[in-house]
Amino acid sequence: MNRKIDLNEKDIPKQWYNIQADLPHPLPPPLNPGTGEPITPDMLAPVFPMNLIEQEVSTERWIDIPDQVLEKYLIWRPTPLYRARLLENFLKTPARIYFKNEGVSPPGSHKPNTAIAQAYYNKVFGIKRLATETGAGQWGSALAFACTQFGLELKVYMVRISFNQKPYRRILMETWGAKCVPSPSPDTNAGRKFLEQNPEHPGSLGISISEAIEDAVTTKDSRYSLGSVLNHVLLHQTIIGLEAQKQLASIGEYPDIVIGCAGGGSNFGGLSLPFVRDKVNGKNVRIIACEPTSCPTMTKGPYVYDFGDTAETTPLLAMYSLGHSFIPAPIHAGGLRYHGMAPIVSRILKDGLIEARAYTQLETFSAGISFARTEGFIPAPETNHAIAGVIEEAKKAKEEGKEKVILMNWSGHGIIDLAAYDAYLSGKLEDYMLPDEDIQKLVKDLEKFPKPK
Amino acid sequence: MTIYCIQMGMLLELSYCTEVNAGLPCRNIIGCWKGRIDILSFLQERFSPDQLKQIFGGLPKSRIDRIIEGIQN
Ligand SMILES: Cc1ncc(COP(=O)(O)O)c(C=O)c1O
Repeated sequence: MNRKIDLNEKDIPKQWYNIQADLPHPLPPPLNPGTGEPITPDMLAPVFPMNLIEQEVSTERWIDIPDQVLEKYLIWRPTPLYRARLLENFLKTPARIYFKNEGVSPPGSHKPNTAIAQAYYNKVFGIKRLATETGAGQWGSALAFACTQFGLELKVYMVRISFNQKPYRRILMETWGAKCVPSPSPDTNAGRKFLEQNPEHPGSLGISISEAIEDAVTTKDSRYSLGSVLNHVLLHQTIIGLEAQKQLASIGEYPDIVIGCAGGGSNFGGLSLPFVRDKVNGKNVRIIACEPTSCPTMTKGPYVYDFGDTAETTPLLAMYSLGHSFIPAPIHAGGLRYHGMAPIVSRILKDGLIEARAYTQLETFSAGISFARTEGFIPAPETNHAIAGVIEEAKKAKEEGKEKVILMNWSGHGIIDLAAYDAYLSGKLEDYMLPDEDIQKLVKDLEKFPKPK
Repeated sequence: MTIYCIQMGMLLELSYCTEVNAGLPCRNIIGCWKGRIDILSFLQERFSPDQLKQIFGGLPKSRIDRIIEGIQN
């Protein structure tokens, strides 16, 4: 039995899969936060090229991958599917664990699956230059790689604190020819405003987003690019799941459980959406999204806070909203959206097609270390959430004595994030988790207050 | 005292988390710091109810909200 299940280059999928064709309940159009009216494609035209906006709203089930994109994909795709025998042995589980290694791309993650496609569509639309923001640097480096492949200029606004302390991602971007500046920068109105307050402003993701959008809107032949959340991003990522389906079929396997980590939902969607399609069509497969407990958008809903009046002994009440009763009406009208999570992932969660789990930071790093010490590859900290999910399911399979097939998206390697491992190994990270009793108590307390408007 | 911030991919001091939003806290501060310090008391001591409401009241902006706002500004 091979350890790696490769797919021949000639068998790479030639189309992306669009779940919008098969959703039991279609996605409602996003609403303009100012007017409450649906956002029309032309409103997005200053930031995205029309060909990508068309993909954003398309309900065609299959969308052809242009030859020029396929050609670039072949730099690292098809990615290998691995049987994680060493991890299985370590866990003494009867489960068969497979992981799709998206860490083999030049920037080391799944992100270039959409970066390459976005660079291509911008290029053919006549765009010369892209602007984007990056926090940790994964997306900025993936887009830098993609832009250099298509001869596009790129400017990356990198949160200053990260720019200063994480030089390797910046160096990657510069090596691929992108201009990476610390944000806030003196190059935009948004950036100058913050620099006037504090010339050493450490920056934030919000400021970087504002700078990148302003740049794209105000610079000739420029557009903005986003590496997660949006429908077209998840569409491009489905190449992961489509390849995995072919690879598993070639050895006569089909997963009982599909697992991915979810930040904005792009790698999770990329692996899982083709399996969600199977599930809609009657297949018996469980699909699990794994997220951090510190920001549990799917497992607990968004944080909603309310504040008691002076008569209350507890002036600040905090809770995770546990139901939808706390979601204000205008949000309902726009359809369910979890903060920061892809609308598609939110929708299929609401429809019961997938499950969500949250893991603490210590659980995820512990899982990542087990993986590194068995399979060898060092996972990205985000990927560790998926590994924690796999380990939990593999242990369950052991308890139940069942030979389950588990498929995981190994979304990226952690070689450039070793400082995080260092912090974990030296005991600098501590666990945090709002205990359920606290949550219940806070919910009870909050019931006394009006719902947020 | 530091935490590992998954969004920034690095260790961050509490002072960053409390001031990142134009001098006000990050929306995730409670989830990230609860368990390490008494973050609720800390926030109440440092910030007025109005400031806290400004940060934590209502729902966070979605990515599309931010993009539309960026275009309109
Ligand atoms: C390796 C890796 N995995 C996962 C994620 C989470 O993003 P998403 O949920 O969009 O896949 C990121 C984000 O930067 C990442 O770099």
